[in-house]
Amino acid sequence: MLREKLQKGKTMKAIHSFILAFVLALCPASLLADTSSITPNAEQSQDTETLTAPQMSPESGVATPADGMMSFHGSSPTAYTYVQDENAISLSAQHTDAEKKEAQEAEPVEGKDVNEEAEEEGPSIADPLAPFNRVMFHVNDKLYFWVLKPVAQAYSHIIPEDFRIVFSNAYDNLKSPARMLNNLLQLKLKAAGNELIRFIFNSIAGIGGLGDVAKDALGIKKQEADFGQTLGRYGIGHGFYIVLPLFGPSSLRDTVGLAGDRLMYPLTYISDVDLSLEASAVIFAHEKVNDTSFKIGDYESFKDAAVDPYVAMRDAFVQHRKKKIENID
Amino acid sequence: MKLKREATKRQLIGMIVVLSLFVPASAFAGAALETVKGHVDKVLEVLRDPALKPAESAKKVKKDRIRAISEKMFDFVELSKRTLAQNWNRFSPEQQKEFIELYKSLLEDAYADKILTYSDEKIAFIKEVQLSEKTVEVQSTVFRKTVEIPIYYRVILMKDGVWRVYDVVIEGVSLISNYRAQFREILSNKPPESLLETLRKKVGKG
Repeated sequence: MLREKLQKGKTMKAIHSFILAFVLALCPASLLADTSSITPNAEQSQDTETLTAPQMSPESGVATPADGMMSFHGSSPTAYTYVQDENAISLSAQHTDAEKKEAQEAEPVEGKDVNEEAEEEGPSIADPLAPFNRVMFHVNDKLYFWVLKPVAQAYSHIIPEDFRIVFSNAYDNLKSPARMLNNLLQLKLKAAGNELIRFIFNSIAGIGGLGDVAKDALGIKKQEADFGQTLGRYGIGHGFYIVLPLFGPSSLRDTVGLAGDRLMYPLTYISDVDLSLEASAVIFAHEKVNDTSFKIGDYESFKDAAVDPYVAMRDAFVQHRKKKIENID
Repeated sequence: MKLKREATKRQLIGMIVVLSLFVPASAFAGAALETVKGHVDKVLEVLRDPALKPAESAKKVKKDRIRAISEKMFDFVELSKRTLAQNWNRFSPEQQKEFIELYKSLLEDAYADKILTYSDEKIAFIKEVQLSEKTVEVQSTVFRKTVEIPIYYRVILMKDGVWRVYDVVIEGVSLISNYRAQFREILSNKPPESLLETLRKKVGKG
């Protein structure tokens, strides 16, 4: 009973915090990076991939950063091939398309027009809420320029970079359990194990995650995974595109993913008495500001480069999420 | 007669020279990566040039130098064609020409400023992956303060045996796909001319 009650309050908090965190993460540099999702065709073939995953990720964790990357990339071609074969039917994978097209292309430069059609089939997403989404896009845009950016700028003048990195590590460490569980759900056992080691090691040796000791000393890198990605791997499509206030670009599936990840977030389970709603709002605001302080300028240049920022953002979201679900990393 | 034979001989030698230029370029694995890395290293050199320290005045010099490197690094024709894809054929040759120029300026304006803010980032070139007979993906990672950003350059082997970049994929987001989505939206209900007009405004403003 008590627990239920607790949970309810937490859910609210969770949603609140998620939104905050995500906007930050999404808007600026990694606007293409953090949240969101994939194409509806997040195909079943993913299952095959998932099965191979445990074997693929092994090295990526333990080895030195460079090695880890090498091995993970090294394994990806195999993975792609898989996807490609199975995708012959469902035509979404951008890579697949690119590869197909390119395969045909090889020859004369003139023969291009034919192949480009294939290339054109990039991932896409339904956007029935476009009018609402466009409004939200502008709200987030203003929020960034009027609030987030000035605050983050002032903040970065006051707080030295080293401290900001420490904060960043600590916040990141709190998300480690969610990464671990999602890796587990995706059957990426090695990655899940690495995340577990990271969480324990960084929490203790890194004093609550203030330092990323696991990476610096052990060479165990973060194993990104989120619940939207997990859902995607099991064949669940985006549904449709949604621009969330504060969090930025997302989809039906990834919004569910946000809530799911929230349930895997340690602070969700601290009682209201110990951590008031206001306090957790402050924490999330701080996380967002701290995060943004490293990314000032990223959103600006994204917007500068875009001819239609709304469409550019939507496309980047879909491409990025697709990649996250397809990749074995 | 003798002259003719000489000419044939010369032609033969010429052909062999051309061929030998060709073969190593395509056969030597890593050529694509080395090419891209070479260009990126040059850009970094410009960014870190201590002689160009005084910020504002040096900014233009740096930009010009980076622009010169990008001309060699990218194949803007290929990039434009692949961006417009099917729509490419809707453009007249003159419009295609103008599009290439405008698109190039758009990209240069947009990314030169961005690149100028980089300096202490470390860049590692990881490996290359063959995409097709003539195209390769060169994979690199940029290390920033708190994150690592994967940046992949897709390069194509040109007729002259040089590798040139036709797409950049950052964190899974392909540059040309992203612009394709934007241009497609405009071209879906408007003629090529209005896309050009939009680009003219955008570039003029920058």
